[in-house]
Amino acid sequence: MNTTYLTLELKRFFRDFMGVFFTAVLPCFLYIIFGAAQSWSKQSAGNGNVAMYIMISMAAYGAVTATVSIGGSAAVERMQGWGRQLGLTPMRDSTLVVSKMMVAMTVALIPVGLVYLLGYLTGARGSGSAWWISAVVVLIGAGVFSIYGLIFGFAFRTESAVGAASGSLVILAFLGNLFFPLSGTLLTIAKFTPLYGYVSLAKRPLTNGYIVNGTGGNSMLYEPLWQPLTNVIVWTIIFAAVAVGAVKFGRRRQ
Amino acid sequence: MTSMTTTVTQTLAVSAQGLVKEFRPRGAPPVRAVDGVSLTIPAGQIVAFLGPNGAGKTTTLDMLLGLTVPDAGTVAVAGLPPRTAVRAGKVSAVLQSGGLLADLTVGETVRLIASTFDNPRPAGEVLERAGITALSTRRVSKCSGGEQQRLRFALALLPDPEVLILDEPTAGMDVGARHEFWDTMKTDTAAGRTVVFATHYLEEADAFAERIVMVASGKIVADGTTNDIRAQGAGRTVSVEIPEQDADHWIDRVRTLPGVTAFEIRGHRVQFSASDTDATALTLLRDLGARGLEIASPTLDSAFLTLTGKRLPDTSPPDKSGKTHNKSHSGATDVDPSAMTA
Repeated sequence: MNTTYLTLELKRFFRDFMGVFFTAVLPCFLYIIFGAAQSWSKQSAGNGNVAMYIMISMAAYGAVTATVSIGGSAAVERMQGWGRQLGLTPMRDSTLVVSKMMVAMTVALIPVGLVYLLGYLTGARGSGSAWWISAVVVLIGAGVFSIYGLIFGFAFRTESAVGAASGSLVILAFLGNLFFPLSGTLLTIAKFTPLYGYVSLAKRPLTNGYIVNGTGGNSMLYEPLWQPLTNVIVWTIIFAAVAVGAVKFGRRRQ
Repeated sequence: MTSMTTTVTQTLAVSAQGLVKEFRPRGAPPVRAVDGVSLTIPAGQIVAFLGPNGAGKTTTLDMLLGLTVPDAGTVAVAGLPPRTAVRAGKVSAVLQSGGLLADLTVGETVRLIASTFDNPRPAGEVLERAGITALSTRRVSKCSGGEQQRLRFALALLPDPEVLILDEPTAGMDVGARHEFWDTMKTDTAAGRTVVFATHYLEEADAFAERIVMVASGKIVADGTTNDIRAQGAGRTVSVEIPEQDADHWIDRVRTLPGVTAFEIRGHRVQFSASDTDATALTLLRDLGARGLEIASPTLDSAFLTLTGKRLPDTSPPDKSGKTHNKSHSGATDVDPSAMTA
């Protein structure tokens, strides 16, 4: 593993003050608004409380925001000639992709760490396994989402496209059941959107597979494991297939 | 393959046979950027690729570097397939603009690229060679075009390559920066590195290369030393001032001088091509009282014009008569061939 490359990439990220601010602070803010500040946060939710349920959602939102922007920037810089510069080195495409994903997941640790710390301090409670497993799933899933940013970067080739990719995450987060509990037809549609399966899996150690029914007061619905799992697998395959096609253009002269 | 062929291949820095590359833009007919280029370059030679923009220079160099795969033909660099040669650090390049990360410093960029090689030259050494040691803590975004180009040069030196490829390395630099860049290059390449560079500046090809490969429309149109190629241009020319008094009569007289093969009025001067320019000059001075006489050797530009019917862009100062030179890259029709007829 090329540690020089990883270190310099992380340095680059921390130089972008606004990027760091939005990656680190926004998810914390969202958690406080939707979670800690609400009266329902102390209610039970499976192996913990509602505050933790919302904490996991917001950490996931922050993590994917970070990885999508890093994936997108990776594509844009490659399209703008850096790919040709790297084409003059022994570095392989696979090494580059793995390096970028590691950078993305390291950066994703920031919002996840902060939101989890904030959650712990403001009353999010859950079993030990719920804390650890959810954090790991959030991070791995965010790594997969760096490909989503990568595709946007390759398709539109500008920094603003990367911003658009991050922005589109707000919509996907609503549909992914992150911001407030969905129900009925909307919930059915939501199950086919890319953030849904991933966040549902991250919450599973807490909820044991029960999800809040948005219209039914306190009623809970049970969701079989295959549903979020299929969602994650299918979307990962789609992302990977589209990205592989896009990467092939990268080394050509633009 | 016979053993003899193998031996020959090993001594060649570049060996390309029948390279073809077509681009197929969406909704437009395919463009054959490189159309059958064959070329061998022995180790240690300094070669200029001279041609206007769009001649296929960059595409050809990209194929040598493994950045583009040819549609047809074979290519070997230092006896290896291009991508293998790159991985082995046998070939490196200074690419055209773009390709740097604006938010890194100069020193970080060098360290980053160095980290991808097994045994790179020390970062300090290549910065020194490229003359940018003092810039190492500066952000790339704050460097001038010339400084960025020196950084690319430093990056290219990291693997200590046998073959160094420079794609229009001084494009966008002012004259001073261009001269400094080539001075740096000369110092570094004295050690017998093979250098292949693309340019559309005649003086660059003339001053730095021992061999010039002229390309136009994806084909090699001439290949030889500077003098070889000059010889393919028109002969020497003589020019004199047109006298202010009785100009029309004077022009009628000089037009019919013996041995004059071409005749052109340029503002207040008249220019002759002649079978014996010395004799023409003598007649002009002795019999016709000509003033301000100049004799010019054929230029690479005129050779290029003869070979391709196109002028190289941006190679000569604007015509004093107000008539504009052809500065477009492919507009052969802008050049009026009849201007040079007697």
